[in-house]
Amino acid sequence: MSTYGTTRHHHPPVAPNFSNKDRVTDYHTTLFRRLIWDGTVPLEIRVDPKELPANSDRGLECYFLQAPRVTYMPLLMPEIRRFFMDLVFDETATKDLKDEEWWFETAEGRLVKWHWPIGLIYDNHIISTSLKPSSSRAASAATPLRLTLHLASPPSDKLLLSPSAEACKQAFMGQLKEADFIRWGNTKRMTGLRQQDQDGMWEGIKEHNFDDYWRVASKVTPTTTPSHTGPPPSSTSMHTSPPSADPGGPSERDGAYNVRSVPVRIYLPDGPVIQELVPPVLADGTPHTLSSYLTANLPLLFPPQPPAPPPSRTNPNPRPPSVSHLAYALIQGIITPHESEMAWLGACLAGADGWVNVCIGLHNT
Amino acid sequence: MAHVDEVTPERFVPSWVLQTTFESTEEALKALQVYKKKDAEKVIVRFKAVGNAPIMKDNFFKITASNRFQAVIQFLRKQLGYKATEPLHTYINLAFSPAPDDLVSNLFKSFATDNHLIVNYSTTAAWG
Repeated sequence: MSTYGTTRHHHPPVAPNFSNKDRVTDYHTTLFRRLIWDGTVPLEIRVDPKELPANSDRGLECYFLQAPRVTYMPLLMPEIRRFFMDLVFDETATKDLKDEEWWFETAEGRLVKWHWPIGLIYDNHIISTSLKPSSSRAASAATPLRLTLHLASPPSDKLLLSPSAEACKQAFMGQLKEADFIRWGNTKRMTGLRQQDQDGMWEGIKEHNFDDYWRVASKVTPTTTPSHTGPPPSSTSMHTSPPSADPGGPSERDGAYNVRSVPVRIYLPDGPVIQELVPPVLADGTPHTLSSYLTANLPLLFPPQPPAPPPSRTNPNPRPPSVSHLAYALIQGIITPHESEMAWLGACLAGADGWVNVCIGLHNT
Repeated sequence: MAHVDEVTPERFVPSWVLQTTFESTEEALKALQVYKKKDAEKVIVRFKAVGNAPIMKDNFFKITASNRFQAVIQFLRKQLGYKATEPLHTYINLAFSPAPDDLVSNLFKSFATDNHLIVNYSTTAAWG
């Protein structure tokens, strides 16, 4: 059975700043969570030239920032607002501006949602761009996501939420609870947290503080501790026994391979979003991989791999015929190997809201 | 040396790096059109009042699965005669508030009980 090497070797936790009395997170899990947390994307923000107030300093009309993938647009607003108010807009003009009416769209005219993580907005931009001929998207991956800031008349019916940090926090908590429900069939882990801890997770996002966020998040995120080296071997039918019957103790009960389902969503270029129940282990006892997940949900883009032809005298070691690869899967900006196991992705590559976002881009000539 | 050509590049280069052809791009775009097609199917949504929220006489409704959850909220407000400014909180399975842009079809696939998507509504925050 092919396994994802990084999850199987048990190392003592060596990350010095990370400790948790209840649960010890292994080195590789912490490493991947840290890499995801530290991921940033470049943004270029420009006020719609038609809306630029009189006497603005046009020499400074553009603001560049490197935003954490796990943060949200409402949390970046104070910084963006300060730049434009202090340096670009004329003092008399700023009196009439109400920043609760500000909103963003991409240079291509797609609305920027207040309640989507920045990393998801960025990856959705990348996959939408993948539909265009390569000549018109030269080096698009290396350039910032260009956003237009509008100063009035937000299309509230399409943005759906108010731009306040409080509305964003509520949406974030809703996503965490939905992910909890997907994993365990109830939200006991989330509702069992003290209010102070729930707020602490959001503060961790706001301050971009890994330790503050994970101190609490590790109580609700499945572990990858390989106490029985991950999934059961395919020769037995251990997957049919209820998780509670496993003699592995608490860490086993919270293990990534014991969840009912992994919180995953597929984003196709310019929509729609596909959400299905994704068991960590398939009926035959093998781990559900990104490959089997994509083939099950998008067979036209990820056709099943046909088996190798029987060996013959001229070809004693036949290899399976190659299938055409029309598309790729982007998770947290990474083109993800298809043998990655869904359970591992759920424990290590999920966003701060608990969800694994799989963005599908097209290979292009 | 004679065996060198048996080692094909595919062995070393990840498959996604391989060149795609014009035909395969066309095929991929066609596939996306198929997945983009809206589901005309309808699913049953069952509204349940929580706390002091007014109870609905008929609480079973068929709603097009390709709608966003926002459409469910708006429908519910209309049924209850609630204005957009009056507070109304909605939950799935007494557990969480979905995002307004979640598709009804996705929520149904993940959370339906006995072929119904149960939507709880409350005038105060309950499981927010």
